[in-house]
Amino acid sequence: MLIVISMVTFGIFFVVPQWAGSTPEALASRYVGRAATPETVHLVAERLGFNDPIVVQYGRFLKGIFVGAEYDYGAGVEQCPAPCLGYSFISGQPVWPDLLDRMPVTFSLAIGAALLWVVFGVSVGVLSALRRGSFFDRLSMGTALAGVSLPIFFTGMVSLVVFSYGLGWTPPGGAWTDLTENPAQWAYNLLLPWITLAFLFAATYARLTRAGMLETMGEDYIRTARAKGLREREVVVKHGLRAALTPILTLFGIDFGLLIGGAILTETTYTLPGLGQFAILAIRNQDLPQVMGVVLFAAGFVVVASFVVDLLYAVVDPRVRLS
Amino acid sequence: MKRKSALAAAATAALALVLSACGGGGGGTTQPAQSASGAAAQPVANAALTEVFNPSTKKGGTLKAAHSADWDSLDPGDTYYGYSFNFGRFYWRTLTMYKPGPGPDGNTVIPDLAESLGEPSDEGKTWTYKIKPGLKYEDGTPIGAKDVAYAVARTFDKETFPHGPSYLNELLDWPKDFKGVYKTPDVDYKSAVEATDDTTVVFHLKKPFASMDYIVQMPMTAPVPKDKDTGAKYREKIISSGPYKFETNEIGKKFALVRNDQWDPATDPNRPALPDRIEVQLNVNADDLDNQLISGDIHLDIPGTGLQPAALGKVLPDPALKARTDNPTIPRLWYISVIPDNPPLDNVDCRKAVMYAADRVANQTAYGGEVAGGEIATNVMPPPIVGQEKFDTYPSEGNKGDTTKAKEALTACGQPNGFSTTMTFRADRPREKALAEAMEQALSKVGIKLTLKGFPASSYFSDYAGNTAYVKKNGIGLATHGWGSDWPDGYGFMQAIVDSRTIRDAGNYNLSVKSDKVDGLIDQASGELDTTARNKLWVDVDKAVMEDASLLPVVWAKALLLRGQGVTNVAYNEGQSMYDYIMLGVE
Amino acid sequence: MTAPLDVSGSASEAQPEVVLTGAGQAVQGRSLTGIAWMRLRRDKVALTGGITVLLLVLVAVFATPIIALFGHPPLEFHQDMIDSSTLLPKGDFGGMGSEYLLGVEPVNGRDIFSRIVAGAGISLLIGFLATLVSVLIGTVMGVVAGYFGGWVDQVIGRLMDVFLAFPLLVFAIALAGVVPDKGFGLEGNGLRIAMLIFIIGFFSWPSIGRIVRGQTLSLREREFVDAARSLGARNGYILFREILPNLIAPILVYATLLIPANILFEAALSFLGVGINPPTPTWGGMLSEAVRFYTLPHFVIFPGLAIFVTVLAFNLFGDGLRDAFDPRAH
Repeated sequence: MLIVISMVTFGIFFVVPQWAGSTPEALASRYVGRAATPETVHLVAERLGFNDPIVVQYGRFLKGIFVGAEYDYGAGVEQCPAPCLGYSFISGQPVWPDLLDRMPVTFSLAIGAALLWVVFGVSVGVLSALRRGSFFDRLSMGTALAGVSLPIFFTGMVSLVVFSYGLGWTPPGGAWTDLTENPAQWAYNLLLPWITLAFLFAATYARLTRAGMLETMGEDYIRTARAKGLREREVVVKHGLRAALTPILTLFGIDFGLLIGGAILTETTYTLPGLGQFAILAIRNQDLPQVMGVVLFAAGFVVVASFVVDLLYAVVDPRVRLS
Repeated sequence: MKRKSALAAAATAALALVLSACGGGGGGTTQPAQSASGAAAQPVANAALTEVFNPSTKKGGTLKAAHSADWDSLDPGDTYYGYSFNFGRFYWRTLTMYKPGPGPDGNTVIPDLAESLGEPSDEGKTWTYKIKPGLKYEDGTPIGAKDVAYAVARTFDKETFPHGPSYLNELLDWPKDFKGVYKTPDVDYKSAVEATDDTTVVFHLKKPFASMDYIVQMPMTAPVPKDKDTGAKYREKIISSGPYKFETNEIGKKFALVRNDQWDPATDPNRPALPDRIEVQLNVNADDLDNQLISGDIHLDIPGTGLQPAALGKVLPDPALKARTDNPTIPRLWYISVIPDNPPLDNVDCRKAVMYAADRVANQTAYGGEVAGGEIATNVMPPPIVGQEKFDTYPSEGNKGDTTKAKEALTACGQPNGFSTTMTFRADRPREKALAEAMEQALSKVGIKLTLKGFPASSYFSDYAGNTAYVKKNGIGLATHGWGSDWPDGYGFMQAIVDSRTIRDAGNYNLSVKSDKVDGLIDQASGELDTTARNKLWVDVDKAVMEDASLLPVVWAKALLLRGQGVTNVAYNEGQSMYDYIMLGVE
Repeated sequence: MTAPLDVSGSASEAQPEVVLTGAGQAVQGRSLTGIAWMRLRRDKVALTGGITVLLLVLVAVFATPIIALFGHPPLEFHQDMIDSSTLLPKGDFGGMGSEYLLGVEPVNGRDIFSRIVAGAGISLLIGFLATLVSVLIGTVMGVVAGYFGGWVDQVIGRLMDVFLAFPLLVFAIALAGVVPDKGFGLEGNGLRIAMLIFIIGFFSWPSIGRIVRGQTLSLREREFVDAARSLGARNGYILFREILPNLIAPILVYATLLIPANILFEAALSFLGVGINPPTPTWGGMLSEAVRFYTLPHFVIFPGLAIFVTVLAFNLFGDGLRDAFDPRAH
């Protein structure tokens, strides 16, 4: 699956420009300084291998991933061990360490937001389901619906204008401190992005939990559990919620996987130096090795996340057995 | 030494005061920025244009700087940004340099590593530089003439160093079999550049060239020790020859410079080296950067292109903040290429219609207005260029465009009802987008219909506007463009954008000027040895371009720069077209 | 990755069977549509959403006369409204007043009201048509996978997985950046809109596809299908006469819920600068300009509000529709 994705990415950046009438030299002249001479462009095209057939170029990329590659930096040759995603066409930096370097930012963003949205979303959803039709139910479901209808680049901008630039309660966009450096500062810097992101997701999760709870609470085994004389709380949590969690888990796997692959809009709005920002910069600079790297990285997370979700099914839902 | 440079600065300041009226420094007062007693400087708008603002010789402190993007490379042999040339002098020294400080003197070059300016011989085909004795790298090893020669030779390898200027590749007489110091380590490159002894560097040119002193102020001549050279990876670990050296360097994120104790101020009267430490943050959000500059959290905005629109709305109406600004005109032209490749724009009258129809005021506003954008440009060369003359080939009332003349021109070119064409712009540059929208509005009034198309800046010249096949195939008629000069004379500014012989398949910077008359005048001007006559000829080139109507000037750029809070020794340097970074200190 | 984009789609897709199995069962006595319509009429919230959607469509259709009555041409510059040094609108509240209802843009002084009205058309057009594309692809893929099962189902299932794992926004941005200017008999913004419709629709079909596949799987086992089959009906007949008609309701419901997601997708692409070419106004594009002038509340709020109201209206209506077709969730 990752191979398919990598081929498509490669194609978009190499084949589509060729349809549009681009040549290897034209591709190469993206990666030179201003007013470069034709010789410079030619040399760069050679260096980046643009003159080779596309299959050869793609093969070289795959080889880098599976067996590693060599990088000639002029004064010598550097070994780039597998998985080698190549070197940036622009900064000459290896892509893989760059990705690892930016992962903590995106990961921090995703973890914190996920924690918030799961806790809030699920509890609001359960409460709404139990008090169906109440004022609380209507209010929270109304808010939830508003939440899914707001684009994050809008809520993000408004939150920054109000809380950072206006009231000065939260740091401005772009603030990032490593967790190991100063945990309090880390959390403080991420507070606003966490809340904004969580608001958006919590809405979905609350709606989903509510629907799931309403459905499971009507099932026979819940009636049985009640008849057995179990306490209501136990019935709700152990039996009702547990079954209702299955679809939530599926969604969570996808959402979380996609999110660690780079929360592009959130990171753009708050200028966080994570994978999403990396992806946008890479695309803007048309830095193919970086684009390939971040796309594969992101897709990899989705694959891993859905695998983990499959495993968790067995734990959460008694009806599912691992076969 | 310090006193000497301060005195020199004071002298230039006095001179600058006289000249500032014609220097295009913009509005504002020219009151002295500091009282004679040396009390704290009163901020006044444009104070750093004509003299050193808040002068100081106090050492110590940390200069905090930030950049909204990233360097092309920190390697002196692989960089081509104005701010990089400016900032790099903290950690490199070159044969010559722009004279630090404010005023028109900043356009002159003075010796840096060299004892004196270059000695031309063989009618300008050989240039000899004597370097000072006692120079050392940060590791204490001596800097000799051979290090400069090696540094120059290593930049020849454009495969390893694709970003830097190629002037020396083209000017010097390189051996045929020389492919760079890495690929052909055994080839002797002394036919191009050589160290004849420990202190003498000799350049051998293919043909006479007068402006060599301007070329060697570029960082290609910053010495690189051969045994520490790591090619494309040298940018990660640079050996300093200037007053500061790298303490840390995280590419794409941040780096810090600390004092280089091997740098001897006795050999370097031009760098006051005030701060103890310099910290640079990269890829900072541009709006946050402005906010931090206003609040004093950072001292310096590295790119030096001015404030973002949001900050502009905050700074200009506030007298206290406005007093901290400088508003210089920089040697940069923002313009629109009117490309003659596709009909009907191959007809000069159709191009003239575009010239007349354009609303210059709307274009100026789109480009940032009179303060942050620039002065309405009527011809190619901007005012800071030596010998520039201002003239207007397509005048209109209030610069709002002349629809009558435009319609006449349309009739003359056989398109009385107008025509349709496509205009490209760099999608990630909001000002260029606004400019394209303004042109669409203005031209629609005379029946010229524009389709606007944005492309990424990174491939704008390689794949789109600067790619001749693309332009022809897609009927591109207009393209936003901008150009700044490497050095402030006619050749330095115009050659790359108006000489049709530089045009190739892709990656062009001259998109539209394809005139034999212009080319002929360029040759005449380049060969002219008399400065006054040469400057006059460059004005003729300018006029010929305007008559060809293939380049629509928009603004001669101005930047609204904000002096950081608590920063001392601030001066706008015309050679750098920015604050002179090496002079700065902190309180 | 693209938080706001997948939300509405994936939220609803997560449990299609649970919610929608009612579609087949309810065919007793009264027609399903009849019951659903009755329920929908009682649901005031959904009706409000529906009416808002209707109003928005009317605004989009009659944009030109509305602008002529209340505003200025959306592309017209009004630089007399702009301070020439700060480039900000003169006067309080961004120049708001009877002349410019929602104020003017900085730099060029264009009428924000007109631009928002003009932007409605693009948003809705792309929202509707992109959904149509995903519904078409999704239905074909889903029916084929669900009906034939076996390796066909396997392959299509894999394909959907690949699509779901795609960092969509990255692809959309990359594609939008490299697509040529002429092709398929279109050029300029026509091609641009077609391309956006295709990209958005093409990347969001799996959400519909999954639902349709699930529905088809359960329908395939129903008595009336068995009956048809035992009567010797061919696959084509069963698919078109027996299965597809029963799929219309769920498809309609999920299409309604996909429209707002696609509108958000378009806004995000415009926000990131790869949407429709200027000067054509779009809401996402207006927001992306507003980032540079974040100190101007009117410039930020109105396009954001426009997106919010539209998306919310569709969500409310879609929700009501789903409830109406699903007896259990009610």
